[in-house]
Amino acid sequence: MAKINNKTKIEVTDGVLIPARDDSAIFSAWRISFYGAISALILLPVLSPEPYKDILLFVPDGVLRTFEVTVLSIIFALFIGLMVGLGRISRFSIINKICTVYVEIIRGIPLLVQLFYIYYALAKFVKIMDITAAVIAMAVCYGAYISEIFRAGIQSIPKGQMEAALALGMTRSQAIYKIILPQTIKVVLPPIGNEFIALLKDSSLVSILAVSDLLRRGREYASTSFFYFETYTMVALIYLILTLFFSRLVAIMEERMKTNVDQS
Amino acid sequence: MKKGIILLLMISVASFCVFSGCSKEQASGKIISVATDATWPPMEYVDENKKIVGFDIDLLNAAAKEGGFTVEFKNTAWDGIFAGLGAGKYDAVCSSVTITDDRKKTMDFSVPYVSIGQTIVVKKETTGMEELSKFEGKKVGAQIGTTGAIEIAKNKNITLKTYDEIGLAIEDLAKGRIEAVVCDNPIAANYALLNPKYKALLKIVGEPFTTEEYGIAVKKGNKEVLDMVNAGLAKVKEKGIDKELEKKWLR
Repeated sequence: MAKINNKTKIEVTDGVLIPARDDSAIFSAWRISFYGAISALILLPVLSPEPYKDILLFVPDGVLRTFEVTVLSIIFALFIGLMVGLGRISRFSIINKICTVYVEIIRGIPLLVQLFYIYYALAKFVKIMDITAAVIAMAVCYGAYISEIFRAGIQSIPKGQMEAALALGMTRSQAIYKIILPQTIKVVLPPIGNEFIALLKDSSLVSILAVSDLLRRGREYASTSFFYFETYTMVALIYLILTLFFSRLVAIMEERMKTNVDQS
Repeated sequence: MKKGIILLLMISVASFCVFSGCSKEQASGKIISVATDATWPPMEYVDENKKIVGFDIDLLNAAAKEGGFTVEFKNTAWDGIFAGLGAGKYDAVCSSVTITDDRKKTMDFSVPYVSIGQTIVVKKETTGMEELSKFEGKKVGAQIGTTGAIEIAKNKNITLKTYDEIGLAIEDLAKGRIEAVVCDNPIAANYALLNPKYKALLKIVGEPFTTEEYGIAVKKGNKEVLDMVNAGLAKVKEKGIDKELEKKWLR
């Protein structure tokens, strides 16, 4: 472990860019793409209603389904991630082993294969409905990734904090819940926001389980109307607007957190 | 540095081979490339030797032999098979394509070569559900973009679930996650009557409720390939080869 000070931040580079207001290059790029995408989404159906307007009327329940899967998955993934993250720093070596093995296994299997596995392979033993299977697979998969964020976040809190808490007479678990975790939350929030956006994008994979999400609705429309270019343009625009919207939301949250830290 | 250059060269050569591979052989030299979604037994499927076989395959090969051209089959996912045809990735689609008016707007069809109808497949224990309208409020599966899916979508009260492959819909039916599957009757028969895994679990109900004809689709205006295919099919019908193949694959 490298020397860690209070300003340690976890850098995640493979997610979407987080358009913070003080990073003018990314922020203006974000504005161009976001408003560009929104105007395209509005202008295309107005200028050529056939087929763009039909597509726009066909997919909304797919957007809702995509949201449903994403939000449910992230809630369970956060829970799993926190538990496993704590397990990864546990002093009990057996818990530690189990959690580490879980992370190793899940991160080594492609999400698409996990989806197939839970829906079609495990159907041999239990009957899981499509959305439930999708949420389980996404939560189990992202739980592993998020647990690593929690672990790194917890380990980024200086050791002195724990020592001081123990010296004040707190038990180890009290120290974790009252001292360490509240500080961890601030550190891990940006990367978790990133994971949420990544999950939103990956939720398009669940269309493979015949879940009628945004992508499948688009495919259904395209496969009978043959407007492939138009349909996938609209689907891509909607996904783009969603991820850009949420990346800005994460940036705003991050900005709030920063002022919060400065004040304290 | 040198190694890097060599690597770069190798990559560019490799990618050149890949890209040039897609563009050659566009109906010249009487080789036509034909897309088929080989997940539709017994019409077209991949057998245990990883070869594409089936009624459509035999029929088009017979037509090619009679018509004096060669066919090269490409296994292509159904969802997007017509996009590839429009983009010129292959010359024809021979994949149990029902001739419909909607499809005729974007592609040309050969003469029809076999008639089929949509059929409902349910679990053995399901009773009294012999028409599609009985499934209102229930989940019914079909392969995405097929005439079966289009028929189900006509009734807004039925929840349509579309699958990438018909086999996945059949599996979900067997697992009880959907109430019925709608597909072409030869495929329904193959799964519900012949398939060793499903024949004890599934059955066909009612009679086929549509009358449809399969045709071979070519890109709109591609008269050269269309004429070749039609001439071959005409000779196949003349000699009665199509009836023999129906006996071999569909009875």
